[in-house]
Amino acid sequence: MLEILIHGAVSSAIYAMLAVGFTLIFGVARVLNLAHGSFYALGAYGTFVLTTHLKMPLLPAALLAVAFVAAFGVVVERVFVRPMRRSQLGVLMITLAVALVIEQALFLTFGSEYRNVPAFVDEKFTLGHVDVGGQRLLALGVGIVAIGALWLFIQYTRLGSAILAISQDPVAAGYMGIPSDRIFSIVMALSAALAALAGILAGPFLTVQPTMWLLPIVKAFAIVVVGGLGSIPGSILAALMLGYAETIVGYLISTSWTEIVSVAATLLMLVVRPAGFFGRRAAF
Amino acid sequence: MVGKKLNLAGATVFVAFMALLPLVFDSRYLIGVLTVSAIYGIWAVSWDFMSGLTGRENFGHSLFIGVGAYTAGFLNTLLGVSGWWSLPAAMVVAVLFALLIGLPTLRLRGPYFALAMLSGAVIMQRLMLIFWEHTGGEEGIHGIEPLIRSQLVFYYFVLGTLVAVTALLLALARSHWGLVLRAIRGDEATCQAAGLNVTFYKIASLLISAACAGAGGAIYAHYQLQVSPQLFAVVTSITIITMVYVGGMASIYGPVGGAILLVLLTELLRNFGEWRLMIYSCALILILFFLPNGLIAPTWQRIRARLGRRR
Repeated sequence: MLEILIHGAVSSAIYAMLAVGFTLIFGVARVLNLAHGSFYALGAYGTFVLTTHLKMPLLPAALLAVAFVAAFGVVVERVFVRPMRRSQLGVLMITLAVALVIEQALFLTFGSEYRNVPAFVDEKFTLGHVDVGGQRLLALGVGIVAIGALWLFIQYTRLGSAILAISQDPVAAGYMGIPSDRIFSIVMALSAALAALAGILAGPFLTVQPTMWLLPIVKAFAIVVVGGLGSIPGSILAALMLGYAETIVGYLISTSWTEIVSVAATLLMLVVRPAGFFGRRAAF
Repeated sequence: MVGKKLNLAGATVFVAFMALLPLVFDSRYLIGVLTVSAIYGIWAVSWDFMSGLTGRENFGHSLFIGVGAYTAGFLNTLLGVSGWWSLPAAMVVAVLFALLIGLPTLRLRGPYFALAMLSGAVIMQRLMLIFWEHTGGEEGIHGIEPLIRSQLVFYYFVLGTLVAVTALLLALARSHWGLVLRAIRGDEATCQAAGLNVTFYKIASLLISAACAGAGGAIYAHYQLQVSPQLFAVVTSITIITMVYVGGMASIYGPVGGAILLVLLTELLRNFGEWRLMIYSCALILILFFLPNGLIAPTWQRIRARLGRRR
């Protein structure tokens, strides 16, 4: 029981880090970014390169990787997404193509074998009677702190208010003199940084290989549909639900069936309530 | 009228060319490449019929291809069913999957359909690996029997299927039905206001598209004599989408040309090996930016205009 509680919380935290960024850039810029999973992959690979090849200590390597991915997110937004933003499908196509280019670039440089990203914490801890890897607990802790910090940033800073204003009404925000293009880049950087952080924290206990961007996209999509496209509280709630649902299915039935959960949840939610729990508009 | 005759003439010349190629150069290798290109043609044209016409992009066409191929594989190796039965069976299974994903997502506007198809394909690929005891895992299913022993006859069968599928979809696309699908692409709300059951049209066209893709998957399984989870991969879908973009979206005949052109080019790029998919994805980005109307359909229209004027 306690095992389900802890492991569910860990996967929920990782899912939340992925989904919050995914939903944030959609809510603000109406961009569904299929390259979001690539940011996650680049975070893990970036840390791998910096620690293994350049022999950097782990903490600066991780921070540098996050910064690099955030900058890369801005480049993707400026160069590829912005010219396509007129059409929703153009954005989907171009981000998917970018994701594939990144996958192939990783494949050509590192090959398809699994890579090891070093863990921050190697010891195991015993909580109650459950053994949990320290890295998992760290992922849980950092996830909570990062999302909390993002929440405070959006609620209590000037820049955060500008982000909120654009997500509520882009035209009116423009009239108030909010530079929407610059805000889009900032939000893209934030969202990419969160995804990279998730990749760095989850890298040590998940597989790091070129196609690792795919499952996060599937999970983030499921979470965002259940929680409501564009809603941050919704995606946090849905991340908790998906994280626990998968852990429970894994314990009670078999880990083989956990992958079904996200797709089943997506389709079910679209039948029952397409707007999700906190969606503002039905299917926009 | 002149345009119609020219179209027919162009199509006849093209099919005759494709049919004569293996007779002129008698090489097993060439026949193999041409067979693959015709199968990709079936997939590309079926993608274009649904997504090109209605503007609802399907990022998981590989789902239909994969379930079609696996259906053929299971029926043939486990139950010993003849290949000729696996074609209709693959179509039925692909249609069932299309219903499962199309029904909840196509009644909504927005990106739900595109992403749900992507998720479906990704998860099916995972499931093929997870339940490896039944599906053969990474290796897939081996020992599928060929549909037709002679390689050349099989190629003509595939080419004939491609011509039949393209003709059928082209006829549908030029009928009242196709007009409605194009109108949905233009303005869905107006179509609804005009009393059209938009959801019905979208789902029906997805089912047709899935049936053709499933049949193509089964044919592919009987050509390769094995199936692997790689069929479900996102790159399969992207390859097909690139072919459609090269051919010209919503033109139906363009994607066939795009598929054949790209498969032949890929064979020429064989030496690049690992770089192949990288070249594909970069090509897709370049086309999205610089050639949004594609290459083949606009070229044919220009040729046709010039020929028409000369008369």
